[in-house]
Amino acid sequence: MTTPQVPTRPVDWFRRVGTIVVVALVLWSLLDLEIKWERFVDLPADVWRVSVLMFGQMPFSETGKLLAALWESISIAWLGTIMASLVAIPLSFLAAENLVGRPIAWVTRQVFNLLRAVPEVILAIALIPIFGLTPMAGVLAIAIGSVGTLGKLFYETAEGIQPGPIEAVDATGAGRLQRLRWGVLPQLLPEYASFVLYRFEVNIRASAVMGLIGAGGIGNDVAQALRFKEFGTAGLGLVIIILGTIAIDYLSGRVRRRIIFGSSSASLLKKPVAVA
Amino acid sequence: MTTPATAVELPAKSPPSRFTIWGSIAAVVLTVVTAITVEFSFLEIVENLFRRNLVVEGLLRPDISQIWSERSARAFVETLQLAILGTASGGVIALPLAMWATDFGNPYPALRATVRTFNAVVRSIPDLLWALLFVTAVGIGVLPGWLALFFFSIAVVSKLTADTLDGIDRGPIEAAQASGASLTALLKTAVVPQILPAYTSFLLYGFELNLRASAVLGLVGAGGIGARIEFFRGRGEWSEVWGLVLMFFLVVFLVERLSVSLRRRLV
Repeated sequence: MTTPQVPTRPVDWFRRVGTIVVVALVLWSLLDLEIKWERFVDLPADVWRVSVLMFGQMPFSETGKLLAALWESISIAWLGTIMASLVAIPLSFLAAENLVGRPIAWVTRQVFNLLRAVPEVILAIALIPIFGLTPMAGVLAIAIGSVGTLGKLFYETAEGIQPGPIEAVDATGAGRLQRLRWGVLPQLLPEYASFVLYRFEVNIRASAVMGLIGAGGIGNDVAQALRFKEFGTAGLGLVIIILGTIAIDYLSGRVRRRIIFGSSSASLLKKPVAVA
Repeated sequence: MTTPATAVELPAKSPPSRFTIWGSIAAVVLTVVTAITVEFSFLEIVENLFRRNLVVEGLLRPDISQIWSERSARAFVETLQLAILGTASGGVIALPLAMWATDFGNPYPALRATVRTFNAVVRSIPDLLWALLFVTAVGIGVLPGWLALFFFSIAVVSKLTADTLDGIDRGPIEAAQASGASLTALLKTAVVPQILPAYTSFLLYGFELNLRASAVLGLVGAGGIGARIEFFRGRGEWSEVWGLVLMFFLVVFLVERLSVSLRRRLV
């Protein structure tokens, strides 16, 4: 009797080649980049030094001023999001295949894709020379940058609506407008509201960042403080950004959950809806 | 006995919920107040955008020839390398950080809370802010760029991986626990195999995000193509700026195509 032969493990070439390629790329990057390795030695010390400077003694008298700047960042994000939604909703109908047919939908989608590809910061550096170092540059950068994402989320929702309610409304002999009002909108509005809030959360971060290059808001204060080596103020600003973002995420997440799941107590146990 | 056909009573239409009413009012009030805060004006937008300006003129005549300039080409390669290194290093750290934030991956409540807080703080700091912080700490160059992308990758990958970990099958974990596996063995045999394909695809997604982010790192002095963009912006040469931005889009587009097809193959 021969011993049973253990079958050889099948070779996953995709995985093997993939691993080799990734390792090669990482090594190439490590060796080719002009990294000053000697700085690495001092890195922990440097980070510690700056951390102590920033968070060691924060000038709490500046809190009021920084909170006002945070509010400006929030304002920029909110207004930009609202402007983007006002543009994206009508545009998204032009991107839904079930509403306008393929060719028009394809063209509109390419516009969305293009807009999604532009980082907000690039938009901001282009808008600052036009609008000056004002919050308006930030608002427009956020607005233009969000149209693509919101438009995509909107048309995907519009394409996925249930035919049931529309048929039901049709069966009552409703006209076109009534059909839209009672068959389509109730399906879309909660989703749209939730997407707008989600984008608002994303845009809070974007607007904080755009301030770093001069487009208004709290990022502006942090960048200025770092430039003039007022590390304490920068540290406090950073803490305020972090706490502010977490607070708004929490609030907005709760509202989104309420919009999507309704007010029943069971739904409160669910997590906030995550949208890509 | 028959009732007249006209006497059909319609059920009362339910009024909009209090949540809807107050939510709408709050949204309108917020819009008005924020508009006052930033001194919003449509007129200003229209006036400014249709005034002659160098930015738009440059956009109409982008200078694509920048790619043949050795310094710009080098900056593009640098951007790619920064994105690769940032994703690889940050992504590797993100996996244990995500697992140590779960109840089965970390039986010590205090430690778990610490890891979760750390993750939350890392996630709340945007990419460009990381770059600015590290430029402050270690000076300008590619090193702060790498460090910024390192933390940014941790934020992205650990968040997505944590969401996947929430939904994994608990059966293998219980089996491992029942066999008396150590924590490391448990994670390695019962958890990692379940999330590996998703995790790999998150790494690729993180790479896409890093590539976009690495374009702007240079604006604050952290290396890559952003440094070139900032250079031309400072000189007001908008044709060159837009030429670089257009080429950057091309690179991002190609990498995304590749990454999307790889991700489809994975999941």
